[in-house]
Amino acid sequence: MAHVSGGRRVVVTGMGVVTPIGTTVDDFWAGLQAGKSGVSPLGGFPLDDLKILIAAQIKEFDQKARLRHFQRDKIILHADRYSWFAAAAADEAVKMSGLPIPFDNAYRSACIIGSGAGGLTTYETAYRDLFINNKRATHPLTLLRIIGSSASAHVGIEFGVKGPTFATCSACSTATHAIGIAKQYIENNLVDVAIAGASESVINYGTMKAWQALHVLSPEGCFPFSKRRNGTVLSEGAGILVLEEYEHAKRRGAKILAELVGYGMTSDAKDMVNPDIEGPREAMRLALQDAKLPPMKIDYLNAHGTATTINDKNETNAIKDLFGKHAYNLAVSSTKSMHGHPLGAGGGIEAVACIKAMNEQWVPPTTGLDEPDPECDLDYVPNKGRSQKVGYTMSNSFAFGGLNAVLVFGPAP
Amino acid sequence: MDEVATKIVDILKKHMKEPRDDISLDTALTDLKIESLDLAMIVFDIEDTFGIEIPYNANEDVGDFKTVGSVVDKVKGLIAAGPAAAKA
Repeated sequence: MAHVSGGRRVVVTGMGVVTPIGTTVDDFWAGLQAGKSGVSPLGGFPLDDLKILIAAQIKEFDQKARLRHFQRDKIILHADRYSWFAAAAADEAVKMSGLPIPFDNAYRSACIIGSGAGGLTTYETAYRDLFINNKRATHPLTLLRIIGSSASAHVGIEFGVKGPTFATCSACSTATHAIGIAKQYIENNLVDVAIAGASESVINYGTMKAWQALHVLSPEGCFPFSKRRNGTVLSEGAGILVLEEYEHAKRRGAKILAELVGYGMTSDAKDMVNPDIEGPREAMRLALQDAKLPPMKIDYLNAHGTATTINDKNETNAIKDLFGKHAYNLAVSSTKSMHGHPLGAGGGIEAVACIKAMNEQWVPPTTGLDEPDPECDLDYVPNKGRSQKVGYTMSNSFAFGGLNAVLVFGPAP
Repeated sequence: MDEVATKIVDILKKHMKEPRDDISLDTALTDLKIESLDLAMIVFDIEDTFGIEIPYNANEDVGDFKTVGSVVDKVKGLIAAGPAAAKA
């Protein structure tokens, strides 16, 4: 059974989110419980000739209220929006963990906060200024805003992390890879504490054009596993965990929210956009192997569930391939039906959904699922969440390029 | 203080964590607790406001920027030289 190796165990002692359906963990969870939709008419910039006119944008985020108390990072309010989301989610997670700020074991701490695309909106604004508005120069902070590691650097500065600090980048698996790497660092005795997750904020004209050209966005909404699904809906936000070595957390009397028991990663090495069954299945299998758990121990699976035609069918088949008969006893839902697809941040936000599901013994639904696709025949917890036993949970992230990462969470030891 | 000086002081205040009202031409920039990144933003704002380009490299000692007055003098010199001089 699980965790008999006597090795270092990794627990979650804090979590934070910024999402279109709630900008704190409590609000996010209330949003999931209510089946709230974060999708709304696209806005905030000139829409010009855009054809896709919806997105899950965060409209109630006050960066000043959330970040003005920052002590050590003096320029956070001048950073890109993606760094604001990361900083706000990290702030919530660190405060929840009760760790001292700044961290007292600075070199035994890591800060791994990824982003699929970093400060893409800063890029767009800067290039508009240069190429269209004939501005003489870009804003002096342009470079610092853009770089994909700036969120991890900002957060590391504020919380005094002096150990491994960098960003991961693997499109929609970014956060999951960050959390998985942090787990391994703690297990391998590199660090005792890690802030890990990802942040994304790329909804702008250029991004919408690029996604539109790929023809994978829905003009109507995000309806995973549904017969009427016709693409994903771009979203934004951040999801960040504080991970800690179990004895370290126990010694300081921390409240332990969950144990991070498994991590698996694979690559399809096949196609940039068409996913494979084997790659996702093997990532799930490796995560279970890392957790030393048989498939039947998983009660809830937070699917990647993007609502593209191909992902949902392929993911369903991969789940069936690995879980066998248990696939039909398993509660599988895509919370993207509510918070949309926050790209690199997805795995972080969905990790929080998994942990809350265990804490509250309640599984979030897949909304908009009136008529399931016959090829998607699992229990996707349609439209209404439900109370049930939730022992172990799994969170899937399957990215463009065939980059797969999977986490398994268990109850607090 | 004349108009150029007033505008420059306003820009300095905008970039200070704790803006002060006692800034004079003699005030040393080091007394305003302006760090290198703040200086880059201040230079950007001044350039934008006056339509000039201030030759400056963050790697070098900024001799012309010792006091508020020296910044004002530098800016006035660049305004007088016109846009062509900025390219030098």
